[in-house]
Amino acid sequence: MTTSLRIFFRGGLTSYRALFTWLSPWILIPTFIVEPVFQVLFFAAVGRTAGVNDNSFYLIGNAVQYAAIPCLFAMSNTIGGERYSQTLSLLLVSPARRTPLFLGRALPVIVNGFACSVVALAVGALALGVTLAPVTWLPLALVVAVCSFACTGLGLVTAGLALRVRETAVLANIVFGVLLIFCGTNVPLSALPGWMAAVGGWLPMTHGIAAARELAGGSRLSDVTGLIAQELGVGLLYIVIGLGLLAFFESESRRRATLEIA
Amino acid sequence: MTVIEVTDLQRRYRSRSGVFKRTTRVVEAVRGIDFAVERGELFGLLGPNGAGKTTTIKMLITLLLPSGGAARVLGYDVVEDAREVRRRVGYVFGGDRGLYERLCALDNLRYFAELYAVAPREQAARIGELLELVGLKGHEHERVEGYSRGMRQRLHIARGLLHRPEVLFLDEPSIGIDPVGARELRATVAALVEGGTTVLLTTHYMFEADELCDRIAVIADGRIVAEGTPDELKAGSSAGQVVEVEVYGSAEFALDGLRALRGVTSVIVEVRDQAQVVVVRSGGVGDLTQHVLDALEGVNRGKVTARQPTLEDAYVELVAGA
Amino acid sequence: MSVARLLVVGTWLQLKMRARSAFDGVLALVYPLFFATTVFLMFRQGGESGALVGAAVGASVMGVWSAVSTTASTSLQSERRQGTLELLVASPTHFPLIVVPITLSMAIIGLWSLVTTLLWGRLVFGIDVRIDDPAGFVAAALVTVLAIALVGYLLAVSAVRYRGAWAFGTALELPVWLICGFLVPLGQLPSWVRPISWLLPPTWGVSAVKHAAEGSSPWLDITVCVAVAACYAVLATAVCTRLLRSARAAATLSLT
Repeated sequence: MTTSLRIFFRGGLTSYRALFTWLSPWILIPTFIVEPVFQVLFFAAVGRTAGVNDNSFYLIGNAVQYAAIPCLFAMSNTIGGERYSQTLSLLLVSPARRTPLFLGRALPVIVNGFACSVVALAVGALALGVTLAPVTWLPLALVVAVCSFACTGLGLVTAGLALRVRETAVLANIVFGVLLIFCGTNVPLSALPGWMAAVGGWLPMTHGIAAARELAGGSRLSDVTGLIAQELGVGLLYIVIGLGLLAFFESESRRRATLEIA
Repeated sequence: MTVIEVTDLQRRYRSRSGVFKRTTRVVEAVRGIDFAVERGELFGLLGPNGAGKTTTIKMLITLLLPSGGAARVLGYDVVEDAREVRRRVGYVFGGDRGLYERLCALDNLRYFAELYAVAPREQAARIGELLELVGLKGHEHERVEGYSRGMRQRLHIARGLLHRPEVLFLDEPSIGIDPVGARELRATVAALVEGGTTVLLTTHYMFEADELCDRIAVIADGRIVAEGTPDELKAGSSAGQVVEVEVYGSAEFALDGLRALRGVTSVIVEVRDQAQVVVVRSGGVGDLTQHVLDALEGVNRGKVTARQPTLEDAYVELVAGA
Repeated sequence: MSVARLLVVGTWLQLKMRARSAFDGVLALVYPLFFATTVFLMFRQGGESGALVGAAVGASVMGVWSAVSTTASTSLQSERRQGTLELLVASPTHFPLIVVPITLSMAIIGLWSLVTTLLWGRLVFGIDVRIDDPAGFVAAALVTVLAIALVGYLLAVSAVRYRGAWAFGTALELPVWLICGFLVPLGQLPSWVRPISWLLPPTWGVSAVKHAAEGSSPWLDITVCVAVAACYAVLATAVCTRLLRSARAAATLSLT
């Protein structure tokens, strides 16, 4: 058990630091501040031109959804990056238990996604002149954290696929694009065609964004517990699928020798 | 006619490290070297890793500016007349980088033919001729990502020859190629020299240098420590005799004893296949074999050979003394 | 003549190479579609069909910028990584003539994305974009592609020694979409932003494309677009010359 815990914490953090030289401000600032803030500003301006919804709608939607960037990219890169540096096979011949190994990698990613959303919310609110009542800050933070958790679950699925798919960055970008459209980020589910709204209900972020919007509109945390529970449930579902895919493709890759084809 | 003329050529690198406390370290890669290569000659530059071989070549092909001294290629200054130099020289380096992986060999060659201003009318014929020369005919439509290391190296050579350079710079071209490929490479290089191309070659492989080079300069720690024909270098070696003994298990304890023997100039242990080989070089003329075996008393021994010094022996001595 | 041939062959081979990469080729087409789809859904929710047509034209040009901004700043870095940068520099061709085809090839992939986006709008959203001045539209689109390629040229040479270049390039994608009038009229932006927009060639290119689609004359915008882009090219060439000299002095061509 303690070994598993060590693999979970120490291993996760080490791999995160090794694969992402993101600690440089030259990468941190453009990726985690400039981009999310401009995504907020861009869609808010487009919304104003189109004459739909208000600033607060776009602020919440885009700031929360942008957490998908670290969640998806960092998770799929924990596999894709190792394949690229040819350390993946070293990892997979190790006797370490897989569940703590991969979940450990997820923990710093969740923190990263959370921090990214919070910064985008704060800076975006200042830039757009949206006031979020201080009483909503803590509940909002909780919802944002749950969204990052759920989206990292989806990231674990992309990590699993990365054992088979060569172009992990392309995969993660496409999943990000799907979330942009289907999660109600900029278009409320009610305005989407029925089938798209139905798909959105099974994706991470959708319920979390809805909960965050209700909180910003004055609801209390107790009003949105249902949505939060759904978001958590979706996240857990993806984690299970992700771990399953990782196990499946690991055994497949031994049979079909697809690991080191970088 | 002198094709490459190098006078007191120097190159320093500055490397900085640390984010807060910036420390600048200056590395003297080339510390003032002189040599000249005549037209049609195959000149070898030998030296250990980090001796300054590649740095020298990069200054000559205008990729690096010298920190001091001067160099002229075909009469053009490498700093002032860089474009004139570039038009007339070819550059090939070893290893498998430097190719467009997602393009086929033909496209790689077409691109560089364009960059080297090979006349459009001649391009197809020239590329066909080179593919023939390096034995890639039939593979020219395959993407480079599927090529073996040897094929990549041959493609590199074809690329370097597109514009019929008067001078060809080969920087460790045979690195990582199998023995058959390396032999073919040597034949190609020999044929080029036969055809009048001047070649400057760097290599780690002494037999390669011995077989190919008209003249050799041995470079160590940024300085030229010896220069001459392969025979002159061998003759200049103080080693009159070399004794090699295969040993199994540890022989460390015996090495000091060997070094103390009269006339012994160097004792090194090399790993070859499963065995270690103790190589003893001596400057004397008398047979040393029996003394060496006595000193190795108690060591599990294999084959024993006594031989004349090779270029490698001369090289090891020169580099060790530098 | 030989310069033109060099540019054409260079661009063609770069295009071939990039079209074979999932990231440069496939994603460059697909990614802008996600944003275009979102935008179409937003305007459809707004309910004004005239605005939807304008959005389709604007969104179609977004892909051109997207393709160039995300790759230009890393293009020379990746040449360096695969060991070809030194070979390019060692060739007798002027380096700018080697770099421009690299960014131009990306802009051409963007042109393809322009067409795809218009088709996507037509087929999926039934947006019927009537182009009143087809010749002007084609000219405006081509000039925009060229102008964006030249901005890419400046990005490429400026970012060559900058490790975080990919992050920098990607971070430019959305700000330019926002302030160059792709979807949001310049008049709606704060007045201090406008001079910045004027300095960016996409502003004039997008305006020309929109004018041609609506049937008003695009030629003034096209002229300004060419002039501004030419300034970028001159600036980039100056940067390029200095950079090569310093790279030869500092030995940074082969570092990864």
